[in-house]
Amino acid sequence: MTVQWVLRAATHLDLFGDTRGAIMRQRSCFIIVFVSLLIATGCSKGVPESTVEVVASFRQTLPLEPGDPEWDRTPLHVEPLLLQDLVEPRLLEPSTREARLRAFTDGTRIAFRIEWDDETRDDLPSASRFPDTCAVQLPLKVERDAPDPQMGEPGRPVAITFWSAFWQSSLDGRADTINELHPGATVDHYPFQAKPLEQDPEAQKTMELRYAPARLLGNFMAGPRGSAVQDLIAEGPGTLSPSEDSSSSGSGQRTDRGWAVVIMRPIPWGRSAEGQAQVAVAIANGSRGEAGSRKMRSAWVPLILEEPQ
Amino acid sequence: MARVHNWQIGREMSYWYPESRPKRQFAAVFDINKCIACQTCTLACKTTWTSGKGQEYMLWNNVESKPYGFYPLGWDVRILEMLGPQSWNGVTYQGRTVFDAARAGERVLGWLPEDYDYSYPNVGEDDCTGIVENGAHLSLPHSIWFYYLARICNHCTYPACLAACPRGSIYKRPEDGIVLVDQSRCRGYRECMRSCPYKKVFYNPMTGTSEKCIACYPKMEKNVQPQCFESCIGKIRLAGWLSRQDEASESNPIDYLVHIRRVALPLFPQLGLEPNVYYIPPIHVPIKFLEQMFGPGAAQAVNIYREAYRDPDLCSLLALFGSSHRNMTRWKRRGGTVLGMDEAGNRIVEVPVKEPVQIRKAYDSAMGVTRSNTP
Repeated sequence: MTVQWVLRAATHLDLFGDTRGAIMRQRSCFIIVFVSLLIATGCSKGVPESTVEVVASFRQTLPLEPGDPEWDRTPLHVEPLLLQDLVEPRLLEPSTREARLRAFTDGTRIAFRIEWDDETRDDLPSASRFPDTCAVQLPLKVERDAPDPQMGEPGRPVAITFWSAFWQSSLDGRADTINELHPGATVDHYPFQAKPLEQDPEAQKTMELRYAPARLLGNFMAGPRGSAVQDLIAEGPGTLSPSEDSSSSGSGQRTDRGWAVVIMRPIPWGRSAEGQAQVAVAIANGSRGEAGSRKMRSAWVPLILEEPQ
Repeated sequence: MARVHNWQIGREMSYWYPESRPKRQFAAVFDINKCIACQTCTLACKTTWTSGKGQEYMLWNNVESKPYGFYPLGWDVRILEMLGPQSWNGVTYQGRTVFDAARAGERVLGWLPEDYDYSYPNVGEDDCTGIVENGAHLSLPHSIWFYYLARICNHCTYPACLAACPRGSIYKRPEDGIVLVDQSRCRGYRECMRSCPYKKVFYNPMTGTSEKCIACYPKMEKNVQPQCFESCIGKIRLAGWLSRQDEASESNPIDYLVHIRRVALPLFPQLGLEPNVYYIPPIHVPIKFLEQMFGPGAAQAVNIYREAYRDPDLCSLLALFGSSHRNMTRWKRRGGTVLGMDEAGNRIVEVPVKEPVQIRKAYDSAMGVTRSNTP
């Protein structure tokens, strides 16, 4: 299997053609020889340490937990991250340096595990606290030229699945109360807790929504929280909007180094695709005030979806 | 960046979007000299709009004691410090606005408050914390003066919050110039909070979106003044519509105070947002301080206000403040009374310019109570 994906990598690199292709072919040969040596000397357990592409190994059942040992049985891809540099406001200094990606597919869905280094756990909202977040981006269609890696472009949308540590902590049991955020806070009274409404849950709910217009309007940001991820569509910076298909799922866990997040979503282009599939990721570090356009992101990374054996 | 005209600084300036003025602009005049910081406005707003979960710390309307009261902490001195010393040449601002001064990678010069900065709303911040009989007294490094500054969103002509939002989730209504956060679109990036120099956008940690003063637009649409105006027992506020400077009308009360008499001034015009809440400055405060806060017209405005008792028209218009809950978009002095009218010229209210003096005994023997003075 290891040799199989290296050969696929070499095949992909041949697409560059010409002089660059020749160089890539040389590099590919080097990789093949190197990996073969690793196998021969027994240093490998059958999974390479890092691949040049994201390879989604085929499984009938996809692992959903970030700590599932199955993740060690699919190749690791380490992707250096770049500054979002298309629109202001933006970062001028890099923050998160790299994302470590692994992937599985069952033929119709794809599950990614994204890991990154982050010393601080930012999952508690407040006026000045931002969440740690990550997102996976796929083109809606597989074409010869991928759309702009920074949120797509008009007429060439990208599908994005976004995970937030705020949402994760909410799902993990954090109550949506002021005392969860500020233990010393006291509140005299909320209007929906008025005596006359106590026997009427519907009236209480209506009253509570009057003071939560984002929730009333169905903004996913506002909850109530049923998932730690949100499916989105974009056709360029500033165009992010909820996707009609919201069947993705995901969960995140703190690790010794930072975060490990699993995002599982349908493959946007269906079961088969002609041409090279791509994936990109973005990461925002909450403790550095990163959100929206202040983030680190990757270029498109070639994505290989393994077929069942 | 586009080039736009800002009449408050007397010149063109850079802004993120081209100039696009609304059909009419929501505006207000606050007479600082009459504010007693009773906070009725604050509570009226709080109970109407921000009594939900995640809104606990929000005060879309607040009243702070100047020069040392802030909400959030240091909102004005921090942006002034970031901007650095700037200068005016007469009525033309020669310095940099928050748009001119935006740092690399930013759209606006700004800063984001910490949670702690919202911990000190004005709850008796002008009260003595010691016992006067024991010698407690106020000691300041300058002559003692202070005043109350009531604040809402300024519904700016060039909103920094709108310019900064990379999603375009903030919009200025073309029909009335009210600036709103689209609650269905906002994703809580807080660029608006960072950029608004007046710090009048707030993040709701429960809904994950930013919220702000909406100028009670459902009321304004029905020609009724916002909650904080209607509830003001000091009668310091008047809401209405501000015309363009070159289209000012004497019969429009806001135009008269802002454009014609120039007795009502914008808050920190040098920041470049063309804010639309105008203040009649306090008349007992050093002019240098007022010029920093209200621009170069402060001395003239103070003089006009001091002489208002000799000026029947101005005096009568000031008497109209707080005399009706309805929007009085036209006004006229008639002898010793002043008329507040709607857009069609229909009378809403007629009040005496000089109220008859009533002298009542301090002790009401019929009720057995001591009377107190209430405006």
